[in-house]
Amino acid sequence: MSGQKARRTDWYALSWRVPLIVWQGLFFVGPLLFMIAMSFFIVKNYRMEAAFDWGNWIKTLGRPIFWDSYFLTLRLAFGATILTTLFAFPASFFLSFHASETFRRWAVFFLIIPFFTSYLVRIFAWQVILAQQGVINAGLSLFGLGPYTMLNTMFGTMIGYLTLCLPLAVILQTFALNGVDRRLVEAAHNLGCGKFHTIFAVILPLAKTGFVVAAVFCFILSFGDFVAPYYLGGSKPPTLSIMIIDTSKSGQQWPRAAVVALMMIVTLMGVAFSAIAYAYRRRR
Amino acid sequence: MRQPLVVLDNVVKRFGSHVAVKGINLEIREGEFLAVMGPSGCGKTTTLRMLAGLEDPSEGDIRLAGQSLVGKSPHERDTPMVWQSLALFPFLNARENVEFGLKMRKVEPAARRRRALDWLDRLGIGEFAERPVDQLSGGQRQRVALARALVTEPRILLLDEPLSALDAHLVIRMQAVLTKLQKELGITFVYVTHSQSEAFAMADRIVIMSKGEIAQIGTAREIYRAPINRFVAEFVGRNNIFTGTSQGGGHVETPFGTLTVSGERAKGTPVSFSVAADLMSVSATPTATNSIEAQLLSEEFVGSMVTLFFEAKDGTELKVQMPERSFAALPLDTSRSVYLNFAPENAQLLKD
Repeated sequence: MSGQKARRTDWYALSWRVPLIVWQGLFFVGPLLFMIAMSFFIVKNYRMEAAFDWGNWIKTLGRPIFWDSYFLTLRLAFGATILTTLFAFPASFFLSFHASETFRRWAVFFLIIPFFTSYLVRIFAWQVILAQQGVINAGLSLFGLGPYTMLNTMFGTMIGYLTLCLPLAVILQTFALNGVDRRLVEAAHNLGCGKFHTIFAVILPLAKTGFVVAAVFCFILSFGDFVAPYYLGGSKPPTLSIMIIDTSKSGQQWPRAAVVALMMIVTLMGVAFSAIAYAYRRRR
Repeated sequence: MRQPLVVLDNVVKRFGSHVAVKGINLEIREGEFLAVMGPSGCGKTTTLRMLAGLEDPSEGDIRLAGQSLVGKSPHERDTPMVWQSLALFPFLNARENVEFGLKMRKVEPAARRRRALDWLDRLGIGEFAERPVDQLSGGQRQRVALARALVTEPRILLLDEPLSALDAHLVIRMQAVLTKLQKELGITFVYVTHSQSEAFAMADRIVIMSKGEIAQIGTAREIYRAPINRFVAEFVGRNNIFTGTSQGGGHVETPFGTLTVSGERAKGTPVSFSVAADLMSVSATPTATNSIEAQLLSEEFVGSMVTLFFEAKDGTELKVQMPERSFAALPLDTSRSVYLNFAPENAQLLKD
C-alpha cells in the first residue's frame, strides 16, 4: 500500500470502526475520566462537590487498612488464577488430547451451560452446599466427621472464584491446546522425549499464549469480584470490591471509593498488559 | 553381504475398517539408502511411522537389530525422523532444536552445545545457530531438521518426503547433501517419497508400494528396466504398455497386429508387456518385426532428451524418448505416418 493511498479517508472502513469508538468513548473512556475527576471531589454534609483536592488520595492511600485490603485482594486473585490454571489443565489436556471429537463438543457445551445461570444464583447454591448444616457437612456427619466451617472463610471465597473462572479457563485452555501442532508432539516423542516430559518441553510452550490469556481472564474476574468474597467469604477481611461498597455507603464517600476503583483499574491494566506482553513476546 | 538392520515381518496396519498396510515383508540392510516410493495412500508413510513407533502395527513384527520394536514407545527407540513439515520447534532457536534430542538423553549442557554446533557447522549453517527457526530459509530449516535428527548418532534415519516443500533447484542441492551424508555416516536411510527423480537419484534400493502392498523391490535400474507388473510400469518411467493374447513362440496378438517378445507364455493366455519409451525407435518404413504405424502428436523437451507422443491407428498413445540431437535429425512432422519399432528382447513381460 502506498503512502498516498493510506492518507485518503476510507469511509467504508471508518463506518465499521465508528460504532466501536463511540461505544468505548461513551461507556469506558467517559466514565473513567469522570471517575478520575470524581476522585478529587470533596464531600460536605453528605453531598459531593466538584473540587480539585488531593485529600481523598492522601487519606485513602495513607490508611494501612487500604493496603491490607489491596494485598489481600491481590493475593486472593493470584491464588485463584493459579488454582484455576492448575485445576483446569488436566481437564483441558484430556479434552484436547484424549477425548473423541464428539465428547469434546459435548464437554464444551456443558462448560458453557453455567453461564446461562446468574453467577449470584450459583453462589447462593454454594451457600447451601457449604453451610454448617449444608450438604457436605451432612454427608460427612454420616462418617462421624465434622462439621467443618467452610462458609465465611477464605476457602469459601476461593470456591466462589473457581465457580466464576473454572469453566471459562477450561474452554480457553482446550482451544489453546487444540491449536498445538500434533506433529511437533510426535517429533518430541521421536527425539526421545517421554509423554509426561513432552507436556512441559513442547506442549505448554506452544500453548503459552492461550494459557496466559486464560489466566489473565481469571485474574481480572476474581480481582474485581464482589460476590464470592461477600457471600462465601463473609466479607472479612474486606477485599477492594467490598471496600468500594463500604466506602460509598458510609457517609456518601464516592470520591474515596473512586480512588479505590482507580487503584484497581491501574493494577488490572498493569497485570493484564505485562501478561499479554509476555504471552506474545517474540524471540530475538 | 550386509546384514538386515530392520526386518518387517508380515506387518499389517488397520485404521478402523481401512487396511493401510496389508502384510508387508521387508528387510532393510545396514548402511543402505532405501527409498520407499508410491502414490499417495499407498501405505508408505504409515510404514515409516510404524518404524518410528508413531503407529503400532495391527499385526506382525518389526525388529531393529534383532530386537522387536512392537510395544516400544517412540521415545524409547532410536529412530529419528525428518518430517515433511520439518516439525522444528518454533519456540527454540536452531541450536536449541538440534540440542533437543541430546537434552532428552541427559547429555550435559556444554557437551550437547558443542555437538549441536558441530552438526550445524557440518551442514554449513553454523552462523545461523542462534537464529529463531522462523527466520531461516527453507533450505536452512531443512538442514536444522537433519542436524536435529542426526546429532544423537542413530543407526537409522527415517525421512518422510523431506524435500517436497522445497524449490526445484534446492531439491537437487539437498539430494547431494543427503547422499553425501549417508555415505560418510554409513548409517541406514529410509526415505519415503512420491518422487521418482528423488528416489532414483539417491537410493541404493527402491521399494515400490501400491495399495498397502509392496509391488517391487530393486535397484533403480532394475525397477526402471524390468518393471514387474502393470502398476510399476505405469508408475515408473515412461513405459508403453501392450496387452494381447499369447499365440505361443513369443508371439502376441495385439490391436497393433502380432508382436514378438522374448519370453514364453502358454498359447491363448492374456499377456501384457511394457517397452520403455527410450527403447523404441522411429523409422519411415516398417521394419521386419514389431512395427507400429503411428502419427506424431506432440513433443516434450527435457533438456537434452525429448519425449515424443504418438497416436496409433486405434487411438492408443505411444511414447518414444530419444536424445534431442537424434530427434532433430529425424524427418518428422505431424502430417505423415511413421513406424515405431522395438526389439523383442526389450519387451518386459508383466505379471498382470
